[in-house]
Amino acid sequence: MKKPILVAEKIDKSFGITHAVNHVSLSVDAGEIRGLIGENGSGKSTFCSLLCGIYPMDSGTFFLNGTKLDIHNQVEGNRQGVSIIVQEMGTLAGLTVAENIFLGNEGRFVKRGIKNTGAMNREAQSLLNAHGFDRIKASMMIDAHNFEDRKLIEIVKATYFKPKVVVVDETTTALSQYGREKLYGIMKSIRDDGRTVIFISHDLVEVLSHTDTISVLRDGELIDTVKSSDVSEEDLKRLMVGRELGTRYYRTDYGKPLSDEIVMSVSDVSVPGQLQDITFALRRGEILGIGGLSECGMHELGKAVFGASFDREGSVTLANGTKVDSIPDAIKHSVAYASKDRDNEALIINDSIRDNIVLPSIDELSCKGFLNYRKLNSFAVENAQHMSIKMTGVGQFVSDLSGGNKQKVVLARWLGKGSDIIVLDSPTRGIDVKVKADIYALMNELKSQNKSIIMISEEIQELLGMADRILIMKDGKINGEFHRDKTLGEEDLIAKMV
Amino acid sequence: MQENIADKGKVTFVERRKALFRSELVKSLLPLLGLVVIVVLMNILTEGSMLQPKKLKLLLSQVYYPMICATGVFFIMTLGSLDFTQGSTLGLASIVVGWISFYSIPLAILGGILTGAAIGAFNGFFHVKFKLPSFIVTICTMYLFRGLCAYLTTDAPMPASMQMKALDEDWIKVSVTLFVLLIAFIVFRFTKVGPSVKATGAGETATRFSGIRTDRLKLLTFVAAGALTGVAAFINVIKVGSITSTAGNQLETQILIALVLGGLPISGGAKVRFSNIIVGTLIYTVLNNGLVMLGYDTATQQLIKGVIFLAVVALTIDRKALKVIK
Repeated sequence: MKKPILVAEKIDKSFGITHAVNHVSLSVDAGEIRGLIGENGSGKSTFCSLLCGIYPMDSGTFFLNGTKLDIHNQVEGNRQGVSIIVQEMGTLAGLTVAENIFLGNEGRFVKRGIKNTGAMNREAQSLLNAHGFDRIKASMMIDAHNFEDRKLIEIVKATYFKPKVVVVDETTTALSQYGREKLYGIMKSIRDDGRTVIFISHDLVEVLSHTDTISVLRDGELIDTVKSSDVSEEDLKRLMVGRELGTRYYRTDYGKPLSDEIVMSVSDVSVPGQLQDITFALRRGEILGIGGLSECGMHELGKAVFGASFDREGSVTLANGTKVDSIPDAIKHSVAYASKDRDNEALIINDSIRDNIVLPSIDELSCKGFLNYRKLNSFAVENAQHMSIKMTGVGQFVSDLSGGNKQKVVLARWLGKGSDIIVLDSPTRGIDVKVKADIYALMNELKSQNKSIIMISEEIQELLGMADRILIMKDGKINGEFHRDKTLGEEDLIAKMV
Repeated sequence: MQENIADKGKVTFVERRKALFRSELVKSLLPLLGLVVIVVLMNILTEGSMLQPKKLKLLLSQVYYPMICATGVFFIMTLGSLDFTQGSTLGLASIVVGWISFYSIPLAILGGILTGAAIGAFNGFFHVKFKLPSFIVTICTMYLFRGLCAYLTTDAPMPASMQMKALDEDWIKVSVTLFVLLIAFIVFRFTKVGPSVKATGAGETATRFSGIRTDRLKLLTFVAAGALTGVAAFINVIKVGSITSTAGNQLETQILIALVLGGLPISGGAKVRFSNIIVGTLIYTVLNNGLVMLGYDTATQQLIKGVIFLAVVALTIDRKALKVIK
């Protein structure tokens, strides 16, 4: 008989009008890996942030081994046996690797007020070596390491002191296969040690294969806790969304001929250090997928086509001969762009939904240079409702919305603008299955209206499932072209990426 | 049963929304409340003498040119920028107005406006083209222009033509101020400049990606704010008659304090309101006047104003939106 190690009682938290976590009670056994899943904004990350003292709770209590936890920050959390590996960058720039690992715990190396840096570095290095991360040097600055290594360092930081409960919040998206395997290994060893891991991920396959039990949250409430061995991916999706989802949300049509009409030709586009002589043509009604590794230059290509690159050479020409050299050019001539960097480039997050939707179309909405507020309002409401954005009203600020709803605002503004060429960079990044399905349906709808889409994506399945044609990029150049085909597989694309 | 629960959820949601709306409303009415409180307080302390026609006229005469300058700075601060050259711009533009006034009054007004616009363009150019934070640019140029002021008035204060002094009529000052406020209000509320300036303050990159030419917008805002200070210089000259090297000294901080007292978020963005200009300038002027009438010396006045400013900023600042001011 296993005994519960962590018990949560009626945990509750609201941000403004959003009830992020609604009286959640659950218990986790010792020697268990617990998956925590749910759509964006279902409260998974908030719940764990409350556990680790990152936010204060409104009400409720956590018990660890029967003792009430009283945590106000992460260092206190660590002392009481709870640690977290966060979704964002959790290491501090400007400090060495060793200083990061022992952050808040430097006291053990201090004698008579003087820190023994050598001893700290030696201990950090031996911890790193024990995990097989020999290539990371403890005495180096954290800034000298790439994103993945910094995540690995964070894993060491969160686990070296043998905490009773380790929260892994959406960490695997930042890791390569190597890093993931390492993390799974560490999770297993924590479990086998009779301690506990809480594992948050959007990747249901990963959750199913690396957890013992899974708790599902929806709209801040605990829906169910199930045994991982008893359920399928479909069951989980159903629990998350609360209704049946079609088993397939990608396109199902194959072999339909494409129009020959070219709506945009990109020729010899270069951006120093990022893109080299890119040439391709986009056809009417086509979904053109662009894939590759994260650093292959495909994200810059989206900007280049939109006239937003800082230092672009070559030309982007539309069907009527117009050249796109600046963002206002692009927007005026019916080109839209949804950046991967949603919070900084795609949306003005500290502004209202209305202003965000209205801004690109503001010239059309004004009459002789004067704004008509009734028109602006109805334009915003209409497009927001078309995308079924969950909101209190168009006056709500975008910063209050969850990731999926933010992306809907981005799409609403360009739908309202009625653009014919739509560049979508990572349209479903960090978005849950339900909104994902909505976005694919919308892409299909746009295609049937003879609009053209350039879909830049790091997800191979998405490229295979949605695109009429796929360009694979490598080191800033186009390295392969594929046409939509049932027999096309992941391996074919990957072979051209690396 | 199921429905009941759903209904319950709905009610609390609506209630929360209302509560939030109320708290926003209270926040936006706070500056106005502050104005009422300070007027009442000052009148009690000065035993009503502040509302005597003569005193009231004096008080209003101190409102006009700061309010015109504050209108320009309001746009700059909405962008998320700051401008510390207001005082020295006013000084320099006043010198130009005074100098030309001996030849032609209309030309003098135009000269003042052009001087202000040129200084705005100078600041805006360095801010936009060299991507320097505006508070750094304008702190540097503040010394530059203040030095120029001092140089031009080394031998003697710059006099203005006697005809200028004849224009020192309340109706002229009132109508110029109201005209500036009206035009600025129309531009802010009924043209795309308003949403564009607010959006730039809330998130510049995303605004640029929405097709707004943010660089041009920023440059033009600095030019327009400079031009408004040129207008204020005219009002200043007809009031004072001759310009010394300290004309407009510390005007920039007065305006900054006034706008923040009026409820303008110091980081600009989408939460600004046009009323911030009017309420803020009035609060500041009443406060200033009251402290003088109460007989405090300059040092004590500054001390009290400093404490009030710090308290208001600490209480009202939106910490979530606060990044480094551009």
